[in-house]
Amino acid sequence: MTYRARILTVALCGVLAAACSTGAQPAAEGSQAAGQSLRMWTFKQSHADALNKAAAQFKTDTGISVVVEAVTPDDVFKAKVQSAAQTGDLPDVLEVHAGGEDREMGASGLLSDLSADVGAEWLNRLLPTTREAGLMSQAVIDRAAADSPFKQVKAGTLFSVPFTAGAFGIVFANKEKLAAAGLSPDTPPKTWEEFLAALKATTEKEPDAGGLSLGLKVSQTGFNWVYQPLAHSYLGRDRFQALFAKGAAQGFGSPDGVKTLELYGQLTPYWMPSSTTLNIDEADIAFAQGKSAFNVGGTFTLAFLAQNGMSPDKVLAFPIPPSAGGQQKEIAMAPLALTSLGVTATTENREAAIKWIDFATSAKGAGIVASASLDLPATDLGTDAASLVGPDLAALQKYFTGTPESTYDAADNTFFPPDYDQVKPGDAMVRLSPLKERTPAQAGSELDEIFGAMWKSSE
Amino acid sequence: MITQHVAGRRRPPGRWRAALTGWAFVFPAVALFAVMGVYTIGSGLALSFAKWNGFTPNWIWVGFDNYLDLLYADPSLAPPLRKAAWNTGQVMVLVPLLTVAISLPLAVVLNSVKRLRAVLRSVYFLPYVTSGIAVYYAWRYILEPDGAINLLLRSLGLGTLAQPQGFLGNPSTALPTLIVVLVWSSVPIATLLYLTGLQTIDPALFEAARIDGAAPRQLLRRITWPLLTPLTAGIVLLGIRDSLHGFQIFLIMTDGGPGGHTDVLGLQSYRLAFFKGLAATLGVSSALGWLLFAGALLLTLANARLLRRVR
Repeated sequence: MTYRARILTVALCGVLAAACSTGAQPAAEGSQAAGQSLRMWTFKQSHADALNKAAAQFKTDTGISVVVEAVTPDDVFKAKVQSAAQTGDLPDVLEVHAGGEDREMGASGLLSDLSADVGAEWLNRLLPTTREAGLMSQAVIDRAAADSPFKQVKAGTLFSVPFTAGAFGIVFANKEKLAAAGLSPDTPPKTWEEFLAALKATTEKEPDAGGLSLGLKVSQTGFNWVYQPLAHSYLGRDRFQALFAKGAAQGFGSPDGVKTLELYGQLTPYWMPSSTTLNIDEADIAFAQGKSAFNVGGTFTLAFLAQNGMSPDKVLAFPIPPSAGGQQKEIAMAPLALTSLGVTATTENREAAIKWIDFATSAKGAGIVASASLDLPATDLGTDAASLVGPDLAALQKYFTGTPESTYDAADNTFFPPDYDQVKPGDAMVRLSPLKERTPAQAGSELDEIFGAMWKSSE
Repeated sequence: MITQHVAGRRRPPGRWRAALTGWAFVFPAVALFAVMGVYTIGSGLALSFAKWNGFTPNWIWVGFDNYLDLLYADPSLAPPLRKAAWNTGQVMVLVPLLTVAISLPLAVVLNSVKRLRAVLRSVYFLPYVTSGIAVYYAWRYILEPDGAINLLLRSLGLGTLAQPQGFLGNPSTALPTLIVVLVWSSVPIATLLYLTGLQTIDPALFEAARIDGAAPRQLLRRITWPLLTPLTAGIVLLGIRDSLHGFQIFLIMTDGGPGGHTDVLGLQSYRLAFFKGLAATLGVSSALGWLLFAGALLLTLANARLLRRVR
């Protein structure tokens, strides 16, 4: 070996030794920090900011720091979780869509079972209709397709704790446009017919900017947010659920189905121009910009409108009103868990992660998040709700309570086919209204065909 | 003789070192291709025979079921796929045809102009340079009910041609409009290819034809077109490939709407992969991707055969 080669060898050994020694140090630090530092991913930017505020308080209380990162939009979030699951790089906590995504991820081995950690006291903090959102009940397992990972899960497993809640099918009206059309800006229409009359008045006043906006580019919004609450109130729960049944004798093509589709079709003259080319956010923005007089969304829409410059006090909000000729004369929307928090199965900080979820779903933590995001928490804030989320959003909560018969529960999917694909009925509804390519009877037959195929496919 | 042959192939030590150095330079590219190319292609192909939601540790092997479901077996999957295939077919035929019909005469004109040639070429090439997601958003604004096109039509007294729901909101104009935008974005590169092709044609051919009394139309038909056939085949093939696989424009501008009227196969594959909740449809999505690949391969082979015959 030459002198130069010897020098190089010694230098290489030195570099290797240094690399080994510096490599060991962070590991030691990592184990020391275990339980004191958490990573969390969410798919909502507004939640990330609010959660980071809550995390600051959490650190003061416990010394545990939490860094919350938003990964948006939804498909990017899903892809990131998929790849992180493959590479073993999942964070400690995930905020996911409740009542579906949480169960799928849990059953696939990504989320850990929290049933032993989340006791009755914890669950009782939550709005009653949200409590079972992350639970794998025997009914959920039984309904799953034969090859679903649900079949491998033990009944009673809890994969997540509900975090935010709300309801779809909330109509927002521009008070200024109502007043300009000679309508009361503070009195919501009591019936579907009154709602149509109000739409007619605003559209006559402003033909291009007095209609109804809804992001029909995401075609299922019309079916999920308008048609279903309307049909539920018109037919009552049992006849409404019969529309979707396997081999439905009382399907969408039946007199019940056609009548409800006729009611939905009455919206046709009042859609905002180009509603079919707007996604949900774009439709909300169009409403905030005064391009429509009415907008359909959910309880979460109010915060988005505020972010886009429309003050909540200029908006009148009410649920999709029931038809005067229907079974239910009033309508209530059961709040469903929209997002929930889960602890990943690979976390090394499980205890700290559970403490963080406990805090985020406590009245204190949820209050911080609610006031920062203007989103309704799944935690019952009681009398503090108005001061935390504002009087307008809190006022929407009055539509959450009603009789079991009159309450529309969007989380109840027990009567859908197992592999329910909401885009297909959504497209069919768009062809009915606003496109007018189908009559209500034709749309009913098409929907029966779609649901029949889904049932057959799930066999 | 065999011994001589082997001895002849034996390399001296210096040449071994040179060979090794060569391999060392090639190795990173080969390794990268092996991981990013061969592995992903193999993994994708395997996935098309499985059911997986992207999260479970194991795949469920289903053989050819995903392919059969897409083609006919699944009553919920196959009919919308056939509709999307019909839309894709229209795009596949019309985009390359219109691209050639516009870009060839444009290239001939650009090739013949003497003044402002560079400026004009830059102007016609702009759509290609600026093409992308942002341009599709810009097109959406132009095509809205109160967008520039409706405004222009109304100001020209052609209000009856304006679309009150916007060009993308009307089922009868949505797909044709998307085809026009696709053609708009593919004409520049086709024109550039034709321009390079035109410059390789011997001017003596044109001169001789002119002396024989050929009109410009006959020059184009009898000389330019036959000599540019290989280029035309390439442009058509590129157009077909883009129409088969491309889905960004459909995703951004219509998301398959209104009412599913602009649904295409690429968009279906994307939806199956990412927008089916967390259903185990990644395998079906992959199978659809492979069906599209098979379609593209068949068209390439047909194109190659056609080219050989023309030559």
